[in-house]
Amino acid sequence: MLLGETKHPRRKISASLALLSALSLILAGVLVTLYEEQLYRAQKFQEIGVQGQILGASVAAALVFNDAKTAQEYVTALQANPELEAAGVYDEAGRRVAGFARSDTDPPPERAPAVTSYVANNRIYAVLPVNQGGAAVGAVYLRANLDSFGRRLVRYGGIILLVSMGVLVLTVSGSAQRALTLANTRLESQARQLAASNLKLQAEMQEREKAEEALRQSQKMEAIGQLSGGIAHDFNNLLSIVKGNLQLLQRRVAQGRTDIQRYLDSANEGVTRAANLTQRILAFSRRQPLSPKPVYLSQLVANIDDLLRHSVGDTVRIEMKLNADWPVLCDANQMENVIINLAINARDAMPAGGTLTIETANHPPSHSRMPSGDCVALTVRDTGTGMSEEVRQKAVEPFFTTKPPGRGTGLGLSMTFGYVRQSNGDLIIESELGKGTAITILMPRYVTESIPVNV
Amino acid sequence: MRRRRILLAVCITALAQASQVTAAAPPESLEYAVKATFLYKFANFVNWPPAAFETPSSPVSLCVLGNDAVAAVVDQAAAGQMIGERPIAVRHLQAVSADSTCHILYVAVNIPSAEAEDAVRGKPVLTVTDTSRATMGKSIVSFVVQDNRVRFDIDDAQAAESGLAISSKLLSLARTVRPRP
Repeated sequence: MLLGETKHPRRKISASLALLSALSLILAGVLVTLYEEQLYRAQKFQEIGVQGQILGASVAAALVFNDAKTAQEYVTALQANPELEAAGVYDEAGRRVAGFARSDTDPPPERAPAVTSYVANNRIYAVLPVNQGGAAVGAVYLRANLDSFGRRLVRYGGIILLVSMGVLVLTVSGSAQRALTLANTRLESQARQLAASNLKLQAEMQEREKAEEALRQSQKMEAIGQLSGGIAHDFNNLLSIVKGNLQLLQRRVAQGRTDIQRYLDSANEGVTRAANLTQRILAFSRRQPLSPKPVYLSQLVANIDDLLRHSVGDTVRIEMKLNADWPVLCDANQMENVIINLAINARDAMPAGGTLTIETANHPPSHSRMPSGDCVALTVRDTGTGMSEEVRQKAVEPFFTTKPPGRGTGLGLSMTFGYVRQSNGDLIIESELGKGTAITILMPRYVTESIPVNV
Repeated sequence: MRRRRILLAVCITALAQASQVTAAAPPESLEYAVKATFLYKFANFVNWPPAAFETPSSPVSLCVLGNDAVAAVVDQAAAGQMIGERPIAVRHLQAVSADSTCHILYVAVNIPSAEAEDAVRGKPVLTVTDTSRATMGKSIVSFVVQDNRVRFDIDDAQAAESGLAISSKLLSLARTVRPRP
């Protein structure tokens, strides 16, 4: 509002400036015209005076010798000047001896008027003495008509035209300026609105990031919850193994037998497996930034084989086709999470059971959808319900889920996609309704030379 | 009745006479008066060499040789007239010699002009005669009466010989001009 208020005076100033310029231009035009008119009159006045002097000099001798005929000849010759309306020649006694007047105009006076020159009624009157040898011998009278107003207007047409054009240009530029100022004001207000909404958007984005972070955490907890059932059972089994072997060991020791190595080994193995399992859970739940390291995906999948089997349950058969032997650069823990997430998704897509296939393969450039070159592809394939094209399009959108409320966050694939892209990879979803879904993670092949030595 | 007729006749005669005066040739006396006036007025349009005058206010000497109608009225016409600062001095001469101080010389019609003209030839003297004379002279200015108006011919060539400069204004009034070579 404050900005808007400061705009108006400027517009007013430029408009009044244009008006002022136009007015001063018109004033200048009028002044120039008046000046020209003055100049024209002065010039004509002088011209008529000179003509009177010439006539006086010409008729001097004729006046001295009373030669009216010759005087008349000179006066008649003056008729060639269209501006002259009347002329008269007077002798020493003031009698008119020669003269002429155009039709419809007054004849020159009968008696010589007093010597004078003046402008009146748009006419120049000039009465000049005729001198010869230092003595006045008579007088001449000239009456000239100045141009009619119309003719003078035509004469000043150039100035009028110029002034009109100037005023026109000023008017046009003034209105253009006003339109521009208006457009500028509108643009500025739009820009202000944009800035405000941008600020709002940024705030929203920050809020969403926070929410996403919280959700990610809660999803991890959800995954842990899902895992914990199977893990508890597994852990119990392992504990049973350890406990059983320890009991057997106790009995054998009580009997004084020495063939106890088998039980010790079995118990040890159970403890090791339990420790491994605990490690996995800790790793899964740990909050940690991405720390990419060279990883062999086939090995990584093989390592979490147990976890996967616990995650998907008994109804789903797992097949492994681990053929990739190129390393990739990624955060191993996150990659494990991603794979477990995908496996859980696959399980959810097969409520009646089915086959989950996890494949890894080297992906030479010719087959690659990545532009950079060699890749390693990791595919999680299920034989479940599949997705419609519409769902497939939206699958990686945050908060999009087809699971019932309370079951899914809608962030699993979204975060997977985000992680893959962050690791310079790509995610491809292929699906067919009723037949199943295949999600492929493409990671660029890690080449040793491109890694700095200190990493 | 009879008296009235006589009165009418007198009136008609008077009218006729009056119209004669205005329409017909100017009376001879007027002609001579005009010529006498012209004589001194020529001085306005003629430049004499500086040596012809002693001082800037020296009079213009108008010499009249012989007696005729013009010579009789010259004194009256030129009385009190000034050419610039110079008065007009009329001198009636019986004979002209080379020593005569004349600026304008009028030779009366009844006198052969040749002798007088020869006497002042080569001197800065404006010679004036009348063409109505019996024997034609060789004066610079010659009066002519044409269309009831007094006019003049000018021999500018001779004026040049005499060292006189005649204004073009005067030349433009002349009936004929013999141009200077």
